[in-house]
Amino acid sequence: MFANTINVCSQCKVKSVAEGIKVASAFDTLLIKKGTYKEYNILVDKPLTLLGEDFPIIDGEDKGEIIRIVADNVTIDGLFIINVGTSYTSDYAAIRVVRSEHYLIQNVVLEKLFFGIYLEKSNNGKVYHNKIIGDAVDEYNSGNGIQLWYSHNVVVDRNIVQGVRDGIYLEFSDNVTINNNASTNNLRYGLHFMFSDDDIYTNNVFENNGAGVAVMFSKNIKMIGNTFKKNWGTAAFGLLLKEINDAEITGNIFEENTIGINIEGSNRIDYKNNNFIKNGWAIKVLGACYSNFFSSNNFLYNSFDISYNSKLNDNVFDGNYWSDYTGYDLNKDGVGDVPYRPVKLFSYIVNKTPETIVLLRSLFMDIIDFSEKVSPVFTPDNLMDSNPLITKV
Amino acid sequence: MKNSIIYIFFVLLVTASCTNSPKTIAYGTDHCHFCSMTIVDKQHAAQFMTKKGRSYAFDASECMLNHLKEIDRATVETFLVNDYNAPGELIDATQATYLISKNIPSPMGEYLTAFATKEAAEKAQSDNKGELYTWEQLNNRYK
Repeated sequence: MFANTINVCSQCKVKSVAEGIKVASAFDTLLIKKGTYKEYNILVDKPLTLLGEDFPIIDGEDKGEIIRIVADNVTIDGLFIINVGTSYTSDYAAIRVVRSEHYLIQNVVLEKLFFGIYLEKSNNGKVYHNKIIGDAVDEYNSGNGIQLWYSHNVVVDRNIVQGVRDGIYLEFSDNVTINNNASTNNLRYGLHFMFSDDDIYTNNVFENNGAGVAVMFSKNIKMIGNTFKKNWGTAAFGLLLKEINDAEITGNIFEENTIGINIEGSNRIDYKNNNFIKNGWAIKVLGACYSNFFSSNNFLYNSFDISYNSKLNDNVFDGNYWSDYTGYDLNKDGVGDVPYRPVKLFSYIVNKTPETIVLLRSLFMDIIDFSEKVSPVFTPDNLMDSNPLITKV
Repeated sequence: MKNSIIYIFFVLLVTASCTNSPKTIAYGTDHCHFCSMTIVDKQHAAQFMTKKGRSYAFDASECMLNHLKEIDRATVETFLVNDYNAPGELIDATQATYLISKNIPSPMGEYLTAFATKEAAEKAQSDNKGELYTWEQLNNRYK
């Protein structure tokens, strides 16, 4: 039993990818030589390796799905796939994996796509080092770059995704690892979790998306060492948390976002060692959020550090560095001697009447903020950092 | 003369600020009132307008139904949903026929889709399986 290599090229005996799949036996390799192959609806129904040499172009001519994998142990490597068809009722993808396992999709470049890589009920696979470049103008006629739907134990690593609706989208997908990706300039979210549990994402960059990352209705998500940058706009967030529990948010950078983190109905979350730099709001808390714990974070030069919409506080801020802190440290233990109150009265006013933001930095606002700082009346009086650090973490 | 001009101006001012049609949904920028997600899907979005003329948009009809649990329905003037077969078209939600089918995903994971006519919904049902609901039956489901 030896695996054979079948050459595919315009001068070879086998002239198309579809033909190559037909004549191949299980575990063979199709070596696809440089050239342009006008094919779509390529069905990979046996364990094969489709290996491109010098990036052969597979052009779907906007007719529909291009590659559909329905067998285990399929590898797609080094192809350049363009012109996926667009349709209102079918989510055509450049590469779709259906109910298959142990797949590997790597070194693939996708352009002019609707959906890029779509994993449907397919566990235990890897999507590695691909480049997905969409040209989404409005969200309606663009799909997502990498989409996981009921797919567990998948690794998504070192991909570059830009110009699609959601860069990476997970729905009902558990135990997924998402590392070292760059998801930028996407219409909606750089990364989006819905109803997905026990996932982890580390060292990714999310820049200039509608919003960096949205995590919704999910449990046990770990978010470590990511960068959320330049998500500017009326309702743009670096990170949007909605109805999520038991998460860990550690060592991330939130820089120049309208809202660094927007938190709604999320409980038992640990925020440690994050940097919030030059955001409009570093953290905006809406609705019921309980037992959230913030420590060893740097809050640097944000217009508002924390904004709150209720008088109730069940969240702990302890041992963070706040650039707005004006207290002193007489006993030189590195911890300020007076507590810091991160919630300004003005932020309540802005929450109620957004137009008042024009009064930001006005003398009158500074006066009411100062008086509130001295004796809290309107803001939750227990919302404070009793151990504000004197130097950055 | 001068008085009448002022009078007309005020009448215009008062009437200009009241229109009795819901605000058009700006797909791609508007956010769902219930779940904050950007509204992108022109086949599943929903909207209602209160008697005071305020419009609230949703990225999916399930979001609108979930939101209705929290408010007094008597304040609502019109309910609208997208017709699946006419992307971007908003139809009267109370007259639409609904299909819940695992083969047509909707934005918030409830597989709920609206159709303008019963025939269109039945056709979609024969293609995709699932169950049909009227507006009333659907509201009982989301109580």
